[in-house]
Parts: sequence; C-alpha cells; structure tokens
Amino acid sequence: MVTVGEHPDTYPEVELMSHMVVLFLVFLRSSHTVFHSGYTNLHSHQRTDFFSAYSLRKMANMDSDSRHLLIPEGDHEINPGPMNIQFDSSDIRSKRPFYIEPTNIVSVNDVIQRVSDHASAMNKRIHYYSRLTAPADRALIAPDHVVPAPEECYVYSPLGSAYKLQCYTEGYGKNTSLVTIFMIWNTMLGTSILSIPWGIKQAGFTTGMCVIMLMGLLTLYCCYRVVKSRSMISSVDTTTWEYPDVCRYYFGSFGQWSSLLFSLVSLIGAMIVYWVLMSNFLFNTGKFIFNFIHHINDTDSIPSTNDSNPVICPSARSGGHPDNSSVIFYASNSELQQFEKWWNKSKTVPFYLIGLLLPLLNFKSPSFFSKFNILGTVSVLYLIFLVTWKAIRLGFHLEFHWFMPTEFFVPEIRFQFPQLTGVLTLAFFIHNCIITLLKNNKNQENNVRDLSIAYMLVTLTYLYIGVLVFASFPSPPLSKDCIEQNFLDNFPSSDILSFIARIFLLFQMMTVYPLLGYLARVQLLGHVFGDVYPSIFHVLIFNLFIVGAGVIMACFYPNIGGIIRYSGAACGLAFVFIYPSLIYIISLHQEDRLTWPKVIFHVFIIILGLANLIVQFFM
Amino acid sequence: MPNTAMKKKVLLMGKSGSGKTSMRSIIFANYIARDTRRLGATIDVEHSHVRFLGNLVLNLWDCGGQDTFMENYFTSQRDNIFRNVEVLIYVFDVESRELEKDMHYYQSCLEAILQNSPDAKIFCLVHKMDLVQEDQRDLIFKEREEDLRRLSRPLECACFRTSIWDETLYKAWSSIVYQLIPNVQQLEMNLRNFAQIIEADEVLLFERATFLVISHYQCKEQRDVHRFEKISNIIKQFKLSCSKLATSFQSMEVRNSNFAAFIDIFTSNTYVMVVMSDPSIPSAATLINIRNARKHFEKLERVDGPKHRLLMR
Repeated sequence: MVTVGEHPDTYPEVELMSHMVVLFLVFLRSSHTVFHSGYTNLHSHQRTDFFSAYSLRKMANMDSDSRHLLIPEGDHEINPGPMNIQFDSSDIRSKRPFYIEPTNIVSVNDVIQRVSDHASAMNKRIHYYSRLTAPADRALIAPDHVVPAPEECYVYSPLGSAYKLQCYTEGYGKNTSLVTIFMIWNTMLGTSILSIPWGIKQAGFTTGMCVIMLMGLLTLYCCYRVVKSRSMISSVDTTTWEYPDVCRYYFGSFGQWSSLLFSLVSLIGAMIVYWVLMSNFLFNTGKFIFNFIHHINDTDSIPSTNDSNPVICPSARSGGHPDNSSVIFYASNSELQQFEKWWNKSKTVPFYLIGLLLPLLNFKSPSFFSKFNILGTVSVLYLIFLVTWKAIRLGFHLEFHWFMPTEFFVPEIRFQFPQLTGVLTLAFFIHNCIITLLKNNKNQENNVRDLSIAYMLVTLTYLYIGVLVFASFPSPPLSKDCIEQNFLDNFPSSDILSFIARIFLLFQMMTVYPLLGYLARVQLLGHVFGDVYPSIFHVLIFNLFIVGAGVIMACFYPNIGGIIRYSGAACGLAFVFIYPSLIYIISLHQEDRLTWPKVIFHVFIIILGLANLIVQFFM
Repeated sequence: MPNTAMKKKVLLMGKSGSGKTSMRSIIFANYIARDTRRLGATIDVEHSHVRFLGNLVLNLWDCGGQDTFMENYFTSQRDNIFRNVEVLIYVFDVESRELEKDMHYYQSCLEAILQNSPDAKIFCLVHKMDLVQEDQRDLIFKEREEDLRRLSRPLECACFRTSIWDETLYKAWSSIVYQLIPNVQQLEMNLRNFAQIIEADEVLLFERATFLVISHYQCKEQRDVHRFEKISNIIKQFKLSCSKLATSFQSMEVRNSNFAAFIDIFTSNTYVMVVMSDPSIPSAATLINIRNARKHFEKLERVDGPKHRLLMR
C-alpha cells in the first residue's frame, strides 16, 4: 500500500506495501523535505533552533524609529513636550521629540519580570552588533550557543512588555504512539501479503510459521539498529538525516551510491510486481465482467472444488505455468474465442496497461495520486475479511506429515524455506524510512517499544492471513501444492468476493504505480543528471524502460513470488542485514566498545543476509 | 594653551583571527570595513585615528603572518611601531592551538615595548571565552593568567577574560579605560558630590568615543546589572543612525512618570548621564545643574597641567 502526503510543489515520500514496503525519502540537494501521510503535516527538516535564533535576530532588528511611535502633525498642541534648553521654540513641530502615551508605558514596579536581565542584555547586544556590519558579513552574527533556547525566547517590545514566542514547528513530534504504530503497520503491509500463503506452502507449515516469527524478530533487531545508528554519531548534527545519510557518513560516496542502487533495486522490483499483479487483476476483472454479461459459466477443465465456494488450481494442468488460455471446448462460440484471443493474461493485457499507465508516469508531480492513500488500508482490511470468510466457509484442512509429501499435503519441514525468507525480507522491510516515521513520535523514548509493537502486529497479520489461507485450502480434492504465488489466483474469476478484492487492489495499485515511478525517477535521474526532470525525453526513456521490464515479466515470468523474493533478498541484503550490523560494529570500534560476542553475532547476521541472497538462486 | 605633545598610541595586537577587528568595531562603534581576509603575505596595520581619551590613537595590528616576514618587519620597523605607546592590549584567542607561537609573538612584543616605551601599560585579553564550556572557563582563564604573568616579567600585565557575547568585553575595556584615567578617584568623589547635590538617583560618566562607563554613582541598588552595557549599546546604535544623517549625537532626554534621564556632553572627553527619579523636578533645573557642573569638571581636568593625559582640545 502506498500512502503519500499532500503537497503541491515538493517531493512526496511514498510508503509502499510489501516489496514495496520501502519508504523512500526523496532527497533534495540541500535540504530534506519529507512528506507524511495525512496524520502529520508536511514539514521540512530545517534546523528548528535556527528558527528561534533567526526570529530573535529578526526581532532585534526592529527599527527603533518605527512609525507608530511618531505622532502625526497637528496633535497635542496642548502639551508641547519637555523643553530642551537647546531647543529653538520656533521650529517646535519639526523638532518635537518622540512622545509615548503614558498608558503605553508599562510601569516598572508592577510589571511581572518576564524577561531576564541576561536575555534583554543579549537582545540589546545583538541589536547593536547587527548595525555594525553589512548583512553579508558573518563576523558579528550570534552563534547558536549564545542565543537562548527556543523555550526562552520572548518577543520583547520596546515599550517594555514581553510575551513568549510560540515555538511551533509543524508536524514535529505530534503523533501519539498509536498513530505511529498504525503508520508503521500501514507502511509495512504491502502486496507481498498475497504471497505469504505460497511462502508457507514452500517452507512447510511448521517451518513456515517459525520462519515468519524468526524473520520478524531478526528484521526488528536490524530495524532497531537502524534507529539507533544516528545516536552513535556525536560529532555531526544528525537531526535531518535519514538512513542513507548515515551510510554515506560511514562509507563515503560508496555508501551513498550503493544505497541508491539497492533502493532502486527494490523500487523497480516493486514496480515489476505491480505490473504483473495489475495485468492479473485486470485480466480477471475483464473476464468476470465478460462472463457476467454473457452469462457464461466458466466450467473449464481446471480442477476445482465443486461447491459454492470454488477454489481452483490453475497450475495443475500445465507444468506450473499459470496460463489461462486453456482449451475450452465450446461449440461455435466464436465470440468467446475472440475474447480469449484479445484478452489474454500474459499476451495482451499487459500491453493494454501501457496505454493507461505510461501517460501517468510522465507527470512531474504525482501529488494527485496521494489522495488515494486510504485505499491501501482498506485493501488490507478487506483481504483480512475475505480470508476469514473463506476460512469459515471452507473449514480447516490440515494434516501433519513431517518429512514426506503426500498427494494432497506438503511436509511440515521443507528445504525450500529460503523462498519464504526471501519474501519475508521484503515483507518486513521498512528500514529505509523508519527513522522518519519515528521522528514524529510524540514521546521519543517510546520509539523502540512502538516499533516492536508495530512489528508484532505486522507479524500477526501475516501469520493470520498465511495460516488461514493455507489451513483452509481444501486439500482433499486439491493439493496444497496448488496454492498460488498470488493467493487470489486460487479463486476463480467468477467469485464475487475475490472480484471485489481484485478491483480494490487494481485501483489501489494504479494510483501507487505513478508514485513509485516518480520516486525511482527522482532518485536515479536526480543523482545521475542532477535534475529530477532533465527533459521529457530522459523521463520518457526511463519510463519506457521500467514499463518494458514490467511487460516482459508479465509476459514471460509472471511469478510474483519469485520476483518478490529476488528483489527482497537483494535489497534487504544491504539495508536489513549488512549496513546496520556493519555500521554498528564500526561505531563500536570507534568508541572502543567492541567485544567479541557482539562481533560474532553481527557477522553472523551479515552471513545470514548473504546466504539469504545466494540461496535464492539455487531454489 | 595649545599642547604640542605627540599623539600617544594604543596598540591592539594579536594573532590574525583572534577578534580584534570585531572588538574594535564594537567598542568604537564603527563599521567593520570589509572582510579583511588576508591574501598573501601582507600584514594588516590599521591606523585608525579613533580619538580615545583625549590624545590617544588606536592602532590595530595583526601578528602572526608568515614568520620570516614577521621577523623582518618587526626588526626593521619595530622602533616606529613601539615608540610612544601608552597602552598595549594583546588579544589571545582561547581556542588557539598554537600556544607556543602565540607566546613567542607576545614576548617579542614585550621586548620591543621594554625597549621603546617601558612605561606602557599592558593588558592581556583572553578572548572568545564563549566557546569554552561554562564550567571550565574559570579554570582555563586562571591557567592562562598565570602563564601570562610569568612570561611578562619584569613588566606587569593585567589579564581579562572576554567574549563579545556577554558583558565581559565591556567590563574589560571599562577597566582598561578606568586605569588610564589618572585622577579617577577624585573624579568619582566629585561625581558623588554632584549627584547628591542635585538629588539624582544615578550619575554615570562615559568616555566620549566608546561610551565606556568611566565612573558612576548610585544612591540605591539598581536591579539590572547589565544596564551600563545596554545603555552604551543603545547610544552607540543611536550614534550610528545619527552619523548616517551626517549629524552627531549631542544630547538626549528621556522622561516618563517614573523618572527622567539626561544624557549630555560633559567635558571634552566625557558624556554624563543623570537619572532623576523625582519627576516633579523640572528638566530645566537639572539641565542648568549639569551645565554648571560642566565648568567645574573641566577645571578639574585642566588642573594638573599639560603633562596630564586628558587634555583639552
């Protein structure tokens, strides 16, 4: 799911679901502007104490001959003012001194002392020094350590009263724990939720559940390391930093480039998966509508259950290649044949999508699409409802065979569990943007607790959906092996509930896809060309490349489980396993607090990450 | 009678970047000229003819350019530079990493002073103290002070710790000016008499160019300890505005229902500020009093003859 905040002329940050469970910060060259979903406002990561210092200086520059202190000509004839012996009485009007109404003057004795002597002395000092230099000269500009803290800043009126400045920085630290947890949960849940049942099937039920929980813990620990990474840097101010900045600090420009590369890997992987899924959903939607209009009962030779809750096994016919252009024998139904010829999941529908989405990709600012961010949450909730409903209807079908597969069931422990870990690496991925998400937490000391709770909720959601789909899959007629990489594929296109789910997801993905494209474009073009929109041609070529990759995958390798696990393991290698552990080891070494157990443990994590990636290629 | 005594110098010396130019601008309320970043091997000498306490002229020197150049210039020109020096103010940057070098330059200056103007007064300012953590300031300053006292023998130096971001700079320079006024105790006594006669709450005497408080009298405790610096800053700001209009500041009266304050030229080198808390006394009365006192104080200045440092113009 992608949630994007709104702002017309800055870069949105996009929260992705699943393999798109990557939240990207779009970098401007000099400052970081971060969007959040509707729970917080746009805020720019400017130094907040600059605000107070600047305002103090600004206030200090209040011109002493402000107009409202002057009385207009013609008033106060009665009271000509104090006589100065050097005062020529003939030009009484032109040399009239400034005269302040007595009521405007706050009495010295009864005013509550609101400004300390020290602060008002500093005010006068700064006021005076600012008159001594040209604005460009920095010699006499107050350094931050002498300017009072924001809490102590007062607006100091020359008439003697003072009131405290409301130091309001937008969107900073305003979210309660609950909102933060929800935002993290919302960000992490993505379309990889569709592949979890398949992953459990690949790993075996018991192994699958254990792997999900262990991966959750492992990625939580690495996420904790990411969150704490900034606090280990004491020499530089890191308040505006995101995780790639930390990488750059430790590894130089190699760190910057590699984090960019891995971000792009996950982004482009995400977009490819989206394309495949969108083709899938569009195809099924179109088929449903066609069948509905023409009252065709789709009783083809796909094995399915024969009751009111059909579940199909699309890959049972051919060797695991989900291809819905099956042999359907209908007497003289050329219309259907025509339809099947023009509406094919892997041959035609991906291309129709191009016409829809390529123009959307070329938008300069996709902030329009950010209005649909609520669809993400709604889709997940609907999926949970759908799965629960189906489970109630289908009942549980579980048998426990430990090592040997049977005709209908898979063993509890299978050695293909790395496929699940690959999917889960992307499913639990939020490391790129967790710092930003936690920054707005009102009580910063609860960050770790909230993060753990969010991870726990995400794990529970995945477990719930995965286990329910797996357990309720009707195994006596169908084999568990039939569980598809996208579990919605197991429901025929005539099933209303899954049709609704597909429509939801289709629409949601269509609004997220341009945002992903925008992010990828901004990151790549921004770094390579220095300009996020160099020209329409650059952008067009980039978009064609991405779309082309998606179309090719949709045509020839529409296995979203495979795509997710490869891109997940690759991207997770850097951001989940290697960087957090390595940075932790390096910072401990710099502080001379490195101990052997810690080294061994973190090196072990790095090895796990590497193994995760390498093993994907052998499965 | 006209006095033909030569102008005496106040040398403001220190390493480049130690804050002398800023200090001078702040104390003397003149604009910082340009960014005097030194390119190449030139040594900045500023002969700013700021009149200071009568016939003193402030010279600002940067020490610490390229070493060989420094040595040459120093040896060839040093008699010129160090002759007729009334005051040497040496500025040390507390954050400097080359303490040895700093001390070395300081000692060369002292040697030259010993040879050419052995009666000069020496002041050392340990500057930029705001960059040191508050709890360490006293300690670091004490260390430096001891070192400097030791190195300055047989000459005597007075040390101050300063920062432009608190009141220490103003106090240090006020002390320096205070020590340059020879009959300051007498001045203070007369000031007290004056204040008591005219029933003033507080009377301040400022030096004319810098508005540094030379002496003051107060008849009861005042709440704000920073008021001297604040008044100086306010008036210097006002002077800057006046100079933009090609006018010069002469006098000011501030009056409200609680007090009346008068700032006016006093003697040739001083300004006076009189604060009356009895608003029933008419301004004219106070101004007449000030005018009469003026004559008396000028006589006081003139009393010690031409050798006196505060000279009439």
